[in-house]
Amino acid sequence: MTINDIWDVFVLGMVLGSLYAVIAIGYTLVYGVLQLLNFAHSEVFMAGGFGGLIVLTLVEPVAAPSGVQSVGYVLLGMAGGAALGGTVAYFLEKVAYRPLRRRRAPRLVFLITAIGASFFLYNLAGKIFGRNAVPMPSAYENKRVLTVFGTSLNITQLLILGSAVVMLLGVDYVVNRTKLGSGIRAVAQDPEVASLMGVDIDKVVSRTFVLGGLMGGVAGFLFGTNVQVFPTMGFLPGVTAFAAAVLGGIGNVRGAMLGGLLLGVVEAFTVDLVGDEWRYVGAFAVLVLVLMFRPTGILGERVARAA
Amino acid sequence: MKATTVSRGKGGGPDMSAAARLRATRWYQQPRWRRLAALLGTALLGAQVTGREGSSSDIFLALKENTTGTGMWIWLGGALLVWVLREFVSEQLAAGWAGVREGARAGASGPLGRGRELWRSLPWVRVAALTALAVFLVLLPLLVTRHWQQVLVDQIGIYVLLVIGLNVVVGWAGMLDLGFIAFFAIGAYSAAYWTGSLPVEPPVVLNNFLVIPVAVVTCLVAGVLLGAPTLRLRGDYLAIVTLGFHEMVYLAARNWRDTTGGTSGASVDRFEIDLGFWSYRWGLDPVPYYWLLLVVIALLIFLFLRLEHSRVGRAWTAIREDEVAAAATGVDTVRFKLLAFAIGASTSGVAGVIYASKLGFINSELFVLLFSILVLSYVIFGGMGSIPGVLLGAAILIWLPEAMRDQVPAQDRFMYLGALLVVMMIYRPQGLLPSRRRRRELEMAEEGAGGADSLGTSEGRRV
Amino acid sequence: MLTKRLVKFAIPFAVGALALTACSDDGDGGGGDGSTFKIAYQGPLSGDNVQLGVNMVNGVKLAIQEANESGDYDVEFELVEADDGGEPGKATAAAQSAIDAGVIAVVGPAFSGAAEVAAPNYAEAGIAALTPSATRPDLTEKGFATFLRGVPNDAEQGKAISDFFVSEGVTKAVVIDDTGDYAAGLADVAQSHLEEAGVEVVRESVPDDTVDHSGIARTVTESGAEAVAYTGYYAQAGPLAVKLKEAGYEGLALGGDGVKDPQFLSLAGDAAEGWYFSCPCRDLSTDEKGQDFIDRYTAEFDAEPGTYSPEAYDATQMIIEAVAELGDGADAKSVYEALAAGTHEGVAKTLSFTETGEYNGSGIYLYQATGGAITALGNVTDVVGG
Repeated sequence: MTINDIWDVFVLGMVLGSLYAVIAIGYTLVYGVLQLLNFAHSEVFMAGGFGGLIVLTLVEPVAAPSGVQSVGYVLLGMAGGAALGGTVAYFLEKVAYRPLRRRRAPRLVFLITAIGASFFLYNLAGKIFGRNAVPMPSAYENKRVLTVFGTSLNITQLLILGSAVVMLLGVDYVVNRTKLGSGIRAVAQDPEVASLMGVDIDKVVSRTFVLGGLMGGVAGFLFGTNVQVFPTMGFLPGVTAFAAAVLGGIGNVRGAMLGGLLLGVVEAFTVDLVGDEWRYVGAFAVLVLVLMFRPTGILGERVARAA
Repeated sequence: MKATTVSRGKGGGPDMSAAARLRATRWYQQPRWRRLAALLGTALLGAQVTGREGSSSDIFLALKENTTGTGMWIWLGGALLVWVLREFVSEQLAAGWAGVREGARAGASGPLGRGRELWRSLPWVRVAALTALAVFLVLLPLLVTRHWQQVLVDQIGIYVLLVIGLNVVVGWAGMLDLGFIAFFAIGAYSAAYWTGSLPVEPPVVLNNFLVIPVAVVTCLVAGVLLGAPTLRLRGDYLAIVTLGFHEMVYLAARNWRDTTGGTSGASVDRFEIDLGFWSYRWGLDPVPYYWLLLVVIALLIFLFLRLEHSRVGRAWTAIREDEVAAAATGVDTVRFKLLAFAIGASTSGVAGVIYASKLGFINSELFVLLFSILVLSYVIFGGMGSIPGVLLGAAILIWLPEAMRDQVPAQDRFMYLGALLVVMMIYRPQGLLPSRRRRRELEMAEEGAGGADSLGTSEGRRV
Repeated sequence: MLTKRLVKFAIPFAVGALALTACSDDGDGGGGDGSTFKIAYQGPLSGDNVQLGVNMVNGVKLAIQEANESGDYDVEFELVEADDGGEPGKATAAAQSAIDAGVIAVVGPAFSGAAEVAAPNYAEAGIAALTPSATRPDLTEKGFATFLRGVPNDAEQGKAISDFFVSEGVTKAVVIDDTGDYAAGLADVAQSHLEEAGVEVVRESVPDDTVDHSGIARTVTESGAEAVAYTGYYAQAGPLAVKLKEAGYEGLALGGDGVKDPQFLSLAGDAAEGWYFSCPCRDLSTDEKGQDFIDRYTAEFDAEPGTYSPEAYDATQMIIEAVAELGDGADAKSVYEALAAGTHEGVAKTLSFTETGEYNGSGIYLYQATGGAITALGNVTDVVGG
């Protein structure tokens, strides 16, 4: 394997990993405020794929779109993904989790609710939209446009990398610099004190879900553009992103980004060196190794510490 | 919008004070209208859930037809009716309901309360009830159709064994295990290997019954190997590591085609007893397997119940409720956690042997990640830590999709099952039949004293 | 929000209703009560492979519906869905539910693993199990008394793939399976034939749930192979084709019969252009009968027929004709005998069976995607020979 090959595979891994990172943020934010493994987040991601699909099917992109048109289509698709992802996340919290929080149910119960919600959502998506995979209407001609150190990147790859960077920076800003962010951090640190200090916990939790949902939705749209859209598309990326969140230190926003990128790169190298069928073995082996030496993940847990 | 606010809101005039403005709620924020919106939303969803199947070549088809068809109007009408009843006739209803509830309570506390009293005070009642239950369980397969016999064995019986094992890990020792089926797979593949059914030849070919102890030991070792380096991880970290372990075992089974048969699988011999003077072969008929399983399950329940109330069981409780305190008072936490892990794993191994021998076939797709998640949900649904609870949880959650076979389209059953899980957890978070200790933990948490959480990770941080 | 009280009220009702209906399991059946016969479909109607199951069950539904509406037959038919989720673990229960319902014959089991577990039960009940899709070769060698395979096993097609590549002068090929039962079997056969013919083979496995095909696309382009064969299904072949094109692969590409599907064209878009397909099936869209089937199917289900839809349709029609021939006196045994000995001109292929219940081969055909459609190139032996 030459240095060029390594760089090639590394870039592929970064593209995959940046999607994982964006999804992982959804897990980690919710974990930060609720200490809850929101397994149903993978369906939020799936909903984003369908959201983008719905919008782009309605818009019907022209055959050979101009640059401006393409940008418009992509933005519309992202908006569609974000809208449906955010909506599903909002109602998920409101209908499924809030009653449990009111009753101070044990955390394992949240887990079962999440699993139930996940079953419900992906089967519902299959029921409504059919169970076959659907390609995302192409918003642009996927040419290779940029060559970095001998590796040429196509538009989809650049789009994924670019929007992941924007979203990761955005969420970092929101968590560390805005009022909502300080609410999130306060609740993560100590919900009871936060509520005594006048933080509306319900509102913070709800908005945290929506924030994670918006990003998960956009990630779903990007995944749909890169691969295709189907009801069970959330499961494996969801599990991997969850592993990424844990790897980075669950509850820690920057940790989730790091974990996602790391797992993506590990996967890409496993696929290249060993074979696609061993993809997850590489990823999980790294996870176990890291956790053995750093039991709370690479950067340690808690949203509060990201500041 | 503003006009509406003014006309409807109480004291919401333009000149109200800042504080009053803060307190005022707009008309659509009032509970009554919010409830209407929620009901209508539910109706919309319901129309989609019960409507026609969509099509991937026209993704709007189902959306369109389900919002214009008669189903939609029935749902909307139903929602409106419920709302009207709830908002305008609720007082009369509440009175009636109170009467009903009073009656129900009287009824419940009557015979049921007395039953519980009898159960506690008179040993012979306990013995009689348990004997009746045992007789019923022994005769059960003779009372149902053969389809249900198969379900009883292939799915309920096997998963009951699994939940008993997982209950030790999750319910008693309080460790979140998302990879339990990995041990099940190891047990099943041990059975296939030692009976000479896999593409690779074993050193000696064993009878299926003799494989059981071998599988138990194999799973025990696997459990210790996985557990030893990872048990210092707390709740959720342990969960993802066990999940990863599952994925590795599954991928190994799937990808080592030359060793395991992969997705094509391998035929496995069935159970056989040959004592010289008497021999018996288990064949296609599920009933003999049922009785075999019943014996194994009864034996394990007996053993585990003894364990629960022994020193070991108390140590697990201590670890579950507060690991740090347990360690401080001299409980060797690592050893007891490892023990729980190993016991759970070996139970799972037994189940694996029986499963492979019953099906007469094994392939990697019998052990996908989904089953690890499902078996965990059976435990929690039934009531962690309580053996009758988890048994009931597994039985009901497996029975339900089978029973729904003829009621709803097959593709939709898991949608309903998912919805049921969500609704059930809202109204009965402690599970169907929680153990007494768990219930108390939960009640205390609801009152705000301490965490209901016994996974030892939250340090009293509740939202 | 539904009030708590309301739901508390509703749940016991729902559960009670379910319990009642479940207990009233009527085990009548026994074949011909009056003149209605039940035909079961066993396959994945839930779980990860549900789309394949839906494809098949729709084919079965269409055949039954047409038979009932045509008025050609004196007897009526009814569908029994036996969902096994594609899992061997649920196959016995599913098979038994069909047997208990008193079906006259079964279309299925769809998957090889489930077929191996369920076939002994059907054999014991004497009910014919005519599978439209289980292709593992050894299934017909295990002596399941009533098992019939309505689809060629992998051996013939694997050889055809190899012959075609060799005739095109390929010296290095990548063979990709999806680690599934069917794909890996076909890939094994193709690989061994190719290696026999002196072609260098790189064997890769890409699981059917893979999230990203750019890795495999890179492997293919880097290997310098002149040909790629993918033996899985169209759902994965679509994104694979796209990624291969993006990676700049320009060699020969061929998909097995799981890929030859209109859906592949829509999933892969431009990238499908030039792909070859091997398939033991006649071309549906060029002959009138096939096109007619596509039209009827599309009108009924608002979706084009997918993988195995025509096979399931053919299998069902064959059963229906056998039962109709036998009339009111038909029972499971006589239907099995009629099927095993019979021949049926289907829309996809001609169905008949050897003594072990194996599909009686009718050749492998070659297709190519050109101009956004799948065109037939003829029988592989002709293509290779000419």
